[in-house]
Amino acid sequence: MGIDYGVVRAIVRKDMRQYLGNPTGYVFLTLFIATTAAAAFLQEGFFARHLADLAELNGLMPAILMFFVPAITMSAWAEERRWATDELMLTAPVRDVEVVLGKFLGVVGMYTISLAFSVAHVVVLYSLGRPDSGLMASTYLGYWLMGVMFCAIGLLASMFTTNATVAFILGALGCAGVVFAGTEPWASGLLGTALVGLLAALVVYVHQGQAGSAGIAGLVGAGVGVLLWLQPSAAGPNTFVELFEHLSVTAHFSSFGEGVVRLGDVAYFASGTVVMLSLATFLLGRRHW
Amino acid sequence: MGKDEAGIGENAQDSPSPSGSAGGADDPFRGKRDRPVTIRAESISKHYGDFAALQQVSFEVKKGTVVAFLGPNGAGKSTTMRILTGYLSPTSGRAAVLGLNPGDASQRIELARRLGYLPESGPLYRDMTPLESLQFFGEVRKLDGLTKHIERVVEQCALHEVLHKPIEKLSKGYRQRVGMAQALLHDPEVLILDEPTSGLDPLQIREVRKLIRELGQEKTILLSTHILQEVEAVADEVVFIFDGRIAFAGTKTELAKQGSLEERFYELTESKEVA
Repeated sequence: MGIDYGVVRAIVRKDMRQYLGNPTGYVFLTLFIATTAAAAFLQEGFFARHLADLAELNGLMPAILMFFVPAITMSAWAEERRWATDELMLTAPVRDVEVVLGKFLGVVGMYTISLAFSVAHVVVLYSLGRPDSGLMASTYLGYWLMGVMFCAIGLLASMFTTNATVAFILGALGCAGVVFAGTEPWASGLLGTALVGLLAALVVYVHQGQAGSAGIAGLVGAGVGVLLWLQPSAAGPNTFVELFEHLSVTAHFSSFGEGVVRLGDVAYFASGTVVMLSLATFLLGRRHW
Repeated sequence: MGKDEAGIGENAQDSPSPSGSAGGADDPFRGKRDRPVTIRAESISKHYGDFAALQQVSFEVKKGTVVAFLGPNGAGKSTTMRILTGYLSPTSGRAAVLGLNPGDASQRIELARRLGYLPESGPLYRDMTPLESLQFFGEVRKLDGLTKHIERVVEQCALHEVLHKPIEKLSKGYRQRVGMAQALLHDPEVLILDEPTSGLDPLQIREVRKLIRELGQEKTILLSTHILQEVEAVADEVVFIFDGRIAFAGTKTELAKQGSLEERFYELTESKEVA
């Protein structure tokens, strides 16, 4: 049972048209360019180092995308469910995976357009000095891969609610988890606790289909996560914390900002995206449970 | 579950009509009773946790008939329709439309190509124009000669005047017509319409009913309603659902045999409420 890319294309076209036919889309685009320009150039470090690069932006890009991408994805599913158009879509001859893929590529398309406009920053660098083209290419590849994974996280978050604002908050929280993991031990521990709790809630929800039981299971799971996090470790750092440090977006993005494209880092972003999309497809099927 | 395993295909004629009526000499629908079954619900139950939305719902709709799915709000009409279209799956029981099982992922795709569905409240992409909306669903359905299909439904649903206006700026009546046009775009054999006249003014209701009557000449239609006049106006047969259970299935003549439709409606709902 293959994927019908004609159907996926039709959904992508519809969603892109909705984003670009809406003034809010252009406001977000302008804000993104203004914010990234400020992060890249309006900082003391940029002028102090005398280097034509995007090092200043690299440090802040995960935090900027943590808010910008959920702003694109917040309406992706929430609005469909709010207006019940998901029922129209899902009773047409389309498979769940095609709908998820179409929705995902729609938000990725919008993000890619926004990122393409921010290439103006590179043009500014060329007017100021002689930036390394390879470094610029790898940096932008890193921005793109990070944003694509955030698109998948935001899309998943948008499936939990009919309210776009709640979808934005859930998406930003999801992205924040991987942005802050690895920066401090408590951040990694908190992410791990949240993921264990979510996993427990999901497993119970799939088996029983009851939100109440799933909530209790989530709390129990989170409690187990806290115990694992706080257990005393005689031999060095806590393994639970270490495990979730590996999910750090910042750590996996840093090599791109240094001009190095590591296969492991590309695989991290790609697998993160695939996991989120698989989860989204799985959750879309929950109406059949 | 495969098509054959289901054993409740469109040509299955072994089971009697749920009303159990053979049809007398004065029965105007006697010819239609001999037709093959197009829609069949077999002991369908749907539970949300402890709440039973549907309990052992069984009925059938024969080819080329217009059947009103009558019942008060919250009786389980929309849930049944969502199960028949494959949007939801039943907790237990089986459904077959055109011999296809809507609960089976691959058969649902084939069914969706041959089935037209107007969900409750006629949801639409409000920032699109009717033309853009029809083009989108035409692309999703991969229709050959899409322009011709669009011209046909624009004619059928009288959408010429509003074709290029954003749907959010259209009146409720026009929005409902766009929803109908979407359901008719691929010229389906079966139409499932969830409260197609809900929220319309009397003139708009008359137009929609006229359209349903015209479509009923060649298509099988199951339409849900809680309006008794709707049953009188368009339906050949009636399936009455109350509290998630089928309370009656048969012709509207049979339903009103012991009084008016209205009296029977109250009788069926009140007797269940007391029970």
